Amino acid sequence: MTHPKVTALGRLSAYACAALFPTLAFSQIPEGYPADYAEIIAKAEAEGSVVIYANTEHAAVEAILADFAKAYPKIRADYIEIKAADLFSRVSSEAAADALKADIVWSSAMDLQYQMVEDGIAAEYGSPEKGAIPEWASYNDRIYGTTFEPVVMVYNSKIIADDQMPTTRDGLAKWLTENRVEMKGKVATYDPERSGLGFFAVNEDAKNGDQLWPLVTAFGAVDAKFYTSTGTMLEKISAGEHAIGYNIIGPYAYLRAARDPNVKVVVPQDFTVVLSRLAIITEQADHPNAARVFMDYLLSHRGQTVVGNEAHLFAIRPDVEGPATIAGLTAEHGDLLKPVSIGPELLDAIQPMARLAFFREWADALKAGK
Amino acid sequence: MRSDLWRNNIVLLTALFILAPVGLILWQSFLTDAFFSARANPTADTYSFVLSDPGFWDALQNTVILSAGMVVIAVPLGSLLAFLMVRTDMPGRRWIEPAIFLPLFMSPMVLAFGYIVSIGPSGFWSTWWQQTFGAPFWNVYSMPMLVLVVALTHVPHVYIYVATALRTVPSDLEEAARVAGGAPLTVAMKVTLPLVWPSIAVSAVLVAFLGFELFGLPYVLGDQDGRLVLATYLYKFNTLLGRPAYQLMAVVVIFIMLVTLPLVMLQRRMLRSAQRYSTIGGKATRSHAVPLGPWKWVALAGVMIWLYAVVLLPLSGVALRSFVTTWGPLVAIRDVLTFDNYHKLADLPLIRRSIVNTLLLAFVGGFASLCVYALIGLASHRSQAKSTRVLDFLVLLPRAMPGIVAGLVVFWIFLFVPFLKPWVASLVAMWVAYTLVWLPFGLRLVSNSFGQVGRELEEAAYVTGAGQARVARDVILPLAKHGLLAAWLLAFLLYAREYSTGIFLMGQGNEVMGTMLVSLWNGGNIDVASSLAVVNTLVIAGGIALALRLGVRLDA
Repeated sequence: MTHPKVTALGRLSAYACAALFPTLAFSQIPEGYPADYAEIIAKAEAEGSVVIYANTEHAAVEAILADFAKAYPKIRADYIEIKAADLFSRVSSEAAADALKADIVWSSAMDLQYQMVEDGIAAEYGSPEKGAIPEWASYNDRIYGTTFEPVVMVYNSKIIADDQMPTTRDGLAKWLTENRVEMKGKVATYDPERSGLGFFAVNEDAKNGDQLWPLVTAFGAVDAKFYTSTGTMLEKISAGEHAIGYNIIGPYAYLRAARDPNVKVVVPQDFTVVLSRLAIITEQADHPNAARVFMDYLLSHRGQTVVGNEAHLFAIRPDVEGPATIAGLTAEHGDLLKPVSIGPELLDAIQPMARLAFFREWADALKAGK
Repeated sequence: MRSDLWRNNIVLLTALFILAPVGLILWQSFLTDAFFSARANPTADTYSFVLSDPGFWDALQNTVILSAGMVVIAVPLGSLLAFLMVRTDMPGRRWIEPAIFLPLFMSPMVLAFGYIVSIGPSGFWSTWWQQTFGAPFWNVYSMPMLVLVVALTHVPHVYIYVATALRTVPSDLEEAARVAGGAPLTVAMKVTLPLVWPSIAVSAVLVAFLGFELFGLPYVLGDQDGRLVLATYLYKFNTLLGRPAYQLMAVVVIFIMLVTLPLVMLQRRMLRSAQRYSTIGGKATRSHAVPLGPWKWVALAGVMIWLYAVVLLPLSGVALRSFVTTWGPLVAIRDVLTFDNYHKLADLPLIRRSIVNTLLLAFVGGFASLCVYALIGLASHRSQAKSTRVLDFLVLLPRAMPGIVAGLVVFWIFLFVPFLKPWVASLVAMWVAYTLVWLPFGLRLVSNSFGQVGRELEEAAYVTGAGQARVARDVILPLAKHGLLAAWLLAFLLYAREYSTGIFLMGQGNEVMGTMLVSLWNGGNIDVASSLAVVNTLVIAGGIALALRLGVRLDA
């Protein structure tokens, strides 16, 4: 991929165009945006690029980047993929050295993303699209939810018949205990100690009711296996090494199910935790206007259509239609969906003492089943 | 006049190069939070936290077992393999040589995944075994299996060292022994072995040490049972307490560094009389192979079994996975066959870029690292100065940091040292990190071969008036070219599959294949990860085959 370099002259002429021919630039403004948005676009195009640090894998994000390039051909999106915890290390180190390269930080580690707001890394920006996403999906104009990803159960239908597979936590706990011999070593889930995302999801389970702990005891009874990545779990479930996966992140599960008819997805029918990939614009951004344009694009109807229907990350905008959208999920599961609301309480999940207490409870519950 | 000024300068620079990151880690280990954070306060509780964690002692125990197993299995097998390849008339040596390096091409994570697909509980070899003989007797996730896999896949590391040394050993001594009636085995044990003993000793220490920072294989194969080794235990602190706990990771790294001390002392003992073994003399000799007689078929069979275990098993697993949508005993292969995984590769524009970057970094970067290692090697060559002996210990330290930690520390140094700041997140920073991490291996290989150059040749050059630079250029470097080429090859292979070191140093446009593989794989895109792994293996294998054809020959 080669891109024309923006020269100082080019930048000047872009400003000049914006000033001299407001009507020309005006035609690019998306519907419903404030009149001065043309200026932001002009400045963004003069900045020429937006640097994004994110943990969404390349294969999923390619569709989003390609469509953004079509919408704003003069703004190059530099996308750097880093795993969640390493992403946090990199951003907080660079910010401390006053050398943060990222204009946008976009990650599924909700707790760590909010820590960046707390640490003053996130800039304030009231997106014109804010009204189009649910109210709980943004906080103080500094952090925005961009996806609506249910945490689901997965099973291999060659091992467990469709009508046998439990759909609630209580049901799963009971069924596993009854079939503990057949299911020995056949259940996979995240290791909360070794996976930040795994802890976050299971901690949300614990907050939503008492159903989790009997299930953990059942995990102990069937000698469940604990993993650090979704990919391995889904692969082994598909291969029949495991029969059931608990707390699998929705987009990955549905993608796998689409490719492998043996893998089936269950949206838990007692309650379903819903996570969101959170985006912030950085205070130190070198391309602040390009960052705004990208953020607005990501939240826009056009961007969200790609997020849901092409990247399959589940759109968070209620006015986008399709199976992988908040609208599609809500139509089917309604009140069962428990989205994690975005705000300072996200930090509770990264208090060391609270975590250590949780791990102790987890270990005790496991041991009770053995 | 031999001036020691340049030597001291290079030793000083090298020490700085090593001690800056080590010092940073030491400092970090005594803080309550990241060293750059306002929340950081001095403390020593970090040490008691780690030492009082039973998980740490479990991980340590597993690590010691793995490391010992690697030495016990990989060192004899690697040395034997080198002897068979370089010194005997075993058939098929020509095409076995590139195959020996195959286990080094693949990222350990992919290698481990290959084993799961082939001999895991649902693996296709296991399924076949089950149908033919009944339930398999092995469990790919068990500790003995991990030891075996880790040991067998490190045979090439030993091979490179010992083969390099063997190629410079003139065969006249062995022939004399044979003429005197020695059987091949006697000749090997009584003549050849003592001559290459220093290289074996060095490779044993390095392999033992490699066992202490092992990450990829135990990370994948020990995952489901939570079986941790020190490096994976350390990685747990990335998430255990919420925010990454660098201070606790630093403590574990310091502990691994302390392990280097006894290893280096052990190495010194073994090498006390190393200079007796200078084997490159002034006389030209032709190498003759030891005839093995009928034993050569036994030897060949042994090598084939090893290749089957470390190349065919995992590679067939990954290759099979790249042509199917799913696998396991529940599906018939013909129902799931597909070429889609390769078509999808074409949809990712950065794949091509990552291939170019990888080759660039491995080939050019590997050569640049080789130059650095050669310079350091020359500086400490035949020097009895204390400063150069300190280097012996120092050079092992960088490898005490698992790749990801080394990458993070180099990233911090580039970030917080003002004149380095503009270079952060560039290929240059990445190269520095790679050079640092693989310093112990490259440098040992280089200085070993320097050590084999006969002292009398250097003395002769000095007597006829050559300066140090001239001696290095016209005597040492040409005579040690086996070692230099081997070091370049090793650097190429290791750089080409490296994935963790670059994570923090990656910027737009410098993706490498190793990193892409692991992120695809972690992201659940195993379809594309396995087809990319196959492409990766083909590209690198092609590169090696081409290099061997074009004359970058280890046995030139």
